[in-house]
Amino acid sequence: MSASQSAVRSRAEAVQVSRTFDWMILFTLFTAVLGGYHIHYMLTGGDWDFWTDWKDRRLWVTVAPIVSITFPAAVQACLWWRYRLPVGATISVVALMIGEWINRYLNFWGWTYFPVNICFPSNLLPGAIVLDVILMLGNSMTLTAVVGGLAYGLLFYPGNWPVIAPLHVPVEYNGMMMTLADLQGYHYVRTGTPEYIRMVEKGTLRTFGKDVAPVSAFFSGFVSIIIYFLWHFFGRWFAKTDFIADDNL
Amino acid sequence: MAATTESVKADAAEAPLLNHRNLWAGITLYLVFYSFIRWYEGVYGWSAGLDSFAPEFETYWMNMLYIEIVAEVILFAGINGYIWKTRDRKVMSITPREELRRHFTHWTWLVCYGWAIYWGASYFTEQDGTWHQTIVRDTDFTPSHIIEFYLSYPIYIITGTASFMYAKTRLPTYQEGLHLMYLIAVIGPFMILPNVGLNEWGHTFWFMEELFVAPLHYGFVFFGWAALAIMGVVNTEVMAIAKLLKKDLA
Repeated sequence: MSASQSAVRSRAEAVQVSRTFDWMILFTLFTAVLGGYHIHYMLTGGDWDFWTDWKDRRLWVTVAPIVSITFPAAVQACLWWRYRLPVGATISVVALMIGEWINRYLNFWGWTYFPVNICFPSNLLPGAIVLDVILMLGNSMTLTAVVGGLAYGLLFYPGNWPVIAPLHVPVEYNGMMMTLADLQGYHYVRTGTPEYIRMVEKGTLRTFGKDVAPVSAFFSGFVSIIIYFLWHFFGRWFAKTDFIADDNL
Repeated sequence: MAATTESVKADAAEAPLLNHRNLWAGITLYLVFYSFIRWYEGVYGWSAGLDSFAPEFETYWMNMLYIEIVAEVILFAGINGYIWKTRDRKVMSITPREELRRHFTHWTWLVCYGWAIYWGASYFTEQDGTWHQTIVRDTDFTPSHIIEFYLSYPIYIITGTASFMYAKTRLPTYQEGLHLMYLIAVIGPFMILPNVGLNEWGHTFWFMEELFVAPLHYGFVFFGWAALAIMGVVNTEVMAIAKLLKKDLA
């Protein structure tokens, strides 16, 4: 390439061009991941995420980390292994949570009038930050999957505890014992979710009556490890730059 | 000196590398349009969208559906037809600077695609969930579906295909063949629209509780994963742009 054929006219212009592309790429990656991650999450763990009376000590704690570690693992596989950017998990979760908060406020509340304190999203940030930190410090996919995946599951409930604890306070209503979150669900009737399909606190005569949440978190961490491995390789596949011949279409 | 003067004159006459006006116009267009749509939903969802057998439902919602479908077909054919018709038949002969300029235009398209995916897959899809929790559905064409499935999805499909077509017809980077991840990034989210057929077919069988995590919805999940293929596009673009800038950033 001769001097007159250069794509840019100066080093300063080259730097400016590079920075402008950075922003455009970041915006596109952010919004595309947001869209894909959000549709995935809302349709695999959404019901537990939408409503406080689904945010129980057993299934919410189990399901949410397992289905939400997916996109963070895949995006890490691209951003860290190609660009050494240790933000793949955090950026995915921030994107998801921005999308969720906008929706819960403007639509759940703004269109159909569910108060935000019955439909706020779960907090996934602590686990995502830990995933990124472990990957950055360890530079190992296996370590991140095993230690990070387990931590992702274990941290979910404590990460949400400050906001959910007040709603797990027991109340008596019409002679029945329930939580404040249950009472919210009782008052805010949802036509599409009758009580009999609410999947919370399943099981009778439970052995670990008071230890449901930590046991569920531990199980969730176990499955999260496996899901991390799987989605890491999905991420690597989606990051490929291969071409196929036009006539193969 | 004379050469410098000529160069400055050439710079002044040359189109900018990135047309900022187009970029911001694109982002603003989606924002303003979807803000209007959200306002329309807020007003006419409640006043005319609760009973699909009511005459006002036909007026405010079914007519909107018919209009948007016709408009989308015209837009799809018009935009993609224009990009194809005006394609560069000597794409491998362009100067590096022109190539860089086209990468910027391509990224303007991709920014709009990401933005359109956000509105379709995130904003209007989760919104549909809360609408189904609030009214009893008596038609496939609920107000939220008329916006989500038949407006916001086609819009990101049109944006995505236009983006792909632009890359394929104007950028040397994409002349090697068909970029697999680019295809997936466009066709995967596109497939969410045909998957509406499965969804609606399933919902016709019974009065279905709106369990959002029901297996009937997993088709949407599978095709939503395809959005991750944008990473393959990003990687290809980064390599191409770095090649164009390498000399000057070294």
